[in-house]
Amino acid sequence: MRDVLNGALHAVDQVLLGKQHAVKLAVACILARGHLLIEDLPGMGKTTLSQALARVMGLSYQRIQFTSDLLPGDILGTSVFDRNSAEFVFHPGPIFAELILADEINRATPKSQSALLEAMEEGQVTVDGATRPLPDPFFVIATQNPVSQSGTFALPESQLDRFLMRLSLGYPSMAAEKALLLREGRRARLDNIEPALTRDQLHRLQQAVPEITASEPIIDYILRLVNRTRESQVCAWGLSPRASLGLLAAARAWAMLEHRGYVIPEDVQAVLPAVVSHRLRASDDPAGHGGGGLAQWLLNGVPAV
Amino acid sequence: MTTAGLIPRNSLAWLLTAQVVVLLPHLPRLPVWVAVLWMVCALWRVQIQRMRWGYPGIVTKALAILVSVAGVYVSQGTLIGLDSAVLLLLLLFMLKLLEMRDPRDALVVIYLGFFLIATAFLFNQSMLLALYQCVSMLVLIAALVGLQQTSGRNDPGRAFRTGAVLLAQAIPLMLVLFFLFPRIGPLWAVNSPGQQATTGLSESMAPGDVANLAQSGELAFRVNFEGPIPQHDQLYWRAMTLSQFDGRRWSHTAVSSGGPPGELQVDGPSISYRVVTGGASHQPWLFSLRGASSTTDELVLTRDFMLRARRPISQTTAYTATSWPDSLLDPQGLDALQQRLYLALPEGSDPRTREWARTLRRQYPDDAELIQAMLQHFNREPYHYTLRPDTLGQHTNDEFLFDTRRGFCAHFAGAMTFALRAAGVPSRIVAGYQGGELNPRGNHVLVHQFDAHAWVEAWLPGRGWISVDPTFQVAPERIERGLQEALRGEGSFLQDSPLSGARYRNIGWINTIRLAWDDVNYRWQLHVLGYESERQLSFFRRWFGTADWQRIGVIALIAAGLVMLPLALWTLRPQKRSNDPRKRVWDKLHRRLVRLRLQARDGEGPRHWQARLVAALPEQQPELDAFFDEYVRQAYMHTVPVDDRASVSALRSRLGALLRRLPRKRRPGPVTLVE
Repeated sequence: MRDVLNGALHAVDQVLLGKQHAVKLAVACILARGHLLIEDLPGMGKTTLSQALARVMGLSYQRIQFTSDLLPGDILGTSVFDRNSAEFVFHPGPIFAELILADEINRATPKSQSALLEAMEEGQVTVDGATRPLPDPFFVIATQNPVSQSGTFALPESQLDRFLMRLSLGYPSMAAEKALLLREGRRARLDNIEPALTRDQLHRLQQAVPEITASEPIIDYILRLVNRTRESQVCAWGLSPRASLGLLAAARAWAMLEHRGYVIPEDVQAVLPAVVSHRLRASDDPAGHGGGGLAQWLLNGVPAV
Repeated sequence: MTTAGLIPRNSLAWLLTAQVVVLLPHLPRLPVWVAVLWMVCALWRVQIQRMRWGYPGIVTKALAILVSVAGVYVSQGTLIGLDSAVLLLLLLFMLKLLEMRDPRDALVVIYLGFFLIATAFLFNQSMLLALYQCVSMLVLIAALVGLQQTSGRNDPGRAFRTGAVLLAQAIPLMLVLFFLFPRIGPLWAVNSPGQQATTGLSESMAPGDVANLAQSGELAFRVNFEGPIPQHDQLYWRAMTLSQFDGRRWSHTAVSSGGPPGELQVDGPSISYRVVTGGASHQPWLFSLRGASSTTDELVLTRDFMLRARRPISQTTAYTATSWPDSLLDPQGLDALQQRLYLALPEGSDPRTREWARTLRRQYPDDAELIQAMLQHFNREPYHYTLRPDTLGQHTNDEFLFDTRRGFCAHFAGAMTFALRAAGVPSRIVAGYQGGELNPRGNHVLVHQFDAHAWVEAWLPGRGWISVDPTFQVAPERIERGLQEALRGEGSFLQDSPLSGARYRNIGWINTIRLAWDDVNYRWQLHVLGYESERQLSFFRRWFGTADWQRIGVIALIAAGLVMLPLALWTLRPQKRSNDPRKRVWDKLHRRLVRLRLQARDGEGPRHWQARLVAALPEQQPELDAFFDEYVRQAYMHTVPVDDRASVSALRSRLGALLRRLPRKRRPGPVTLVE
């Protein structure tokens, strides 16, 4: 298993150069059965990352480009009348895939956004009164431009909370960018990737995550962290129980990627910025939803042991 | 849109509760419309919170202010003075509700509340109020805490508990300030509050007046004796002399009390005592036994040997005095003005009494014998001591002495003084209190208003003023045992005050409770309210050997520091001793590494710390790894029970091995902290 995980990480690293930590977090997010939100400027490799993940994990992949005229039916699928059989036949939408890339999710109208987010939460979609299960594993990587860009509909807090992690890739380092420019392009690299995992292996890994030991001191540490956001005046509101569940699951997945059978505080600390920063808002920052500073404040303010 | 801009619901509930609690002590003084206004304001604010109503506009607010000020003017008659000022403040306190938009406005309301708590003490300083105001403080602080709570965490009970802890932490500092903060005299004279209703004795007396006073079970004053308590019949508490008679009323004049003190020839044993007045009488008269002098600054000794305050008594006052009851008062003689005053009688009044006095005078040329004869007259003739005297007509003394013969102490004293003056003996009425009730618990004497009494002083050449009490001749039990005994047959003792505790003195357990409560109050007044500058200075001399303010200031600062230090240490304690033995082992290592400046960073996890330590102390790597591996194994890898002795001792032994290998001190030269 260890080699399988390392191989998967390594394969993605080959495509997205110099972003090992972000890649590892994204894999941890998949292992913890969470959805991922990538927020960054255009052209930073959001799409590349999602495609690389899909290939490495051996998952069926669909990409939905969100635009302002996208309708829910374009995501979920529609029933079309079949003249031959004289009945309505359901044509599944792009959502019926194991890994969905919802590109630029904040460009679509809230109505279409909700269609996707409901599917994410329920693991099934209901169209024309019939409930259809989504494939398992089902994993959504949504990307969005930072809210300050024009023509976007920012996701409200309640929908941000559905994503286990929010990542920001950031500019690559000089060396990584040089390597990118010197050698073949992203497209070619993507094509070179071989699946490192079978669907079955991924399934077993996901099932093994909850088995990772999280001892009482770790639970207490998570509780201290969560409580700190609830009690402090620095945060406009505290973290929800969903956030603490997510934090624990992500920390377990991280421990698995570290090839450990148990969680240590460093695992929690590694995933915490990605897990909490989109769920927190500073009291003195009425418009923003960037919680990066808050995550650091939280880590420094709570004793780990 | 910020959530910080709203007042949490929980906080509003606390604020409204706090307002009620703060307003309650003022309630007896408030006009009814103020309470109605509060209800309107509170209802309006609640409706604003429920988003049913809006905030009032500027016109409504201006109107509310105008109407309130006019209301104060109408109900108080003035806008100046303590009553009106406090009332205005209360109104602003209520009206502020209507423009309480964000937490800052709520802060204003809370701070006003603290100020109003203080103002309540201008009107009343009793222990019950002090205890009550502690609760008010608690509620206000809870409101303050509630204002700071984040949404989702706004639990009223928690706000209350936090408030209680804060208040408890302030107690040591409060005690230091109580004992050491200088008692500065009033910087300006506050007009005494209330309707200036004087209680107790008044400066003029018609025969019926004392009888009215005798219906009051209120406390006049308390006395604490140094040494044995004198007999009941020795306790003649002098307050003032009444020396001018207009045919109906005896009045006090400045001629008899003004000027330098009279000549006091000290004789016989002395009695020292400390008097605490029962409250504000709004009169300057104080109470002393015969032949008194006092060292208390605020008192003067008058021409007629009374103790008198420089200002009317507007609050509970304490003073010490020493009396020599056997001394001679004015033995050398009276000047012409005094002679005239003490012999003056109104033209044409009471012809029969004058005739009787002249007859006696012819019979007894000696003054002392004359007085004796008059007292015997009261003793032998069928006079009756009663609180329900008959109404008297034009010649009050004549009718009382020869027709009705039923009266109270004022009747007897008035008639005898009149007769003495008619016979040519200078004389005056002394008004004050007689007797008192012993509280065996506190070993002090309680003097109530119903102990009010009037008796006679006559001046004899060579002997000065001597006291005679005609009431003693008629009702000796009044003097020996008190009013209640004297009126036993009549049943008129405190008949108009069914709630007065003194009325039920005969019921054992009520009396026990009453006296115990009185004792607690007395101690409160003596030790807490009575801790004035004089006592404070003597406290300083006794404990610090100095009364120099600079040194006291330094001592106060040191004391405050000493008191707050343990509290600060406790609050800022690095980490409380954990119940988890593994955590204690961890803390021990941490303390040691703090000395080497290799402590864990804020929020640093064990493995990161370990890596940093290994980089800084490469020689100790085996021990470091052994300890941290064991720690991580126990804490995170398996769920080892906290109280598993074997594992804890394994951890301890690894710690011991590590500590032995650690350098004692930080190595010279900078240690680079490697990430």
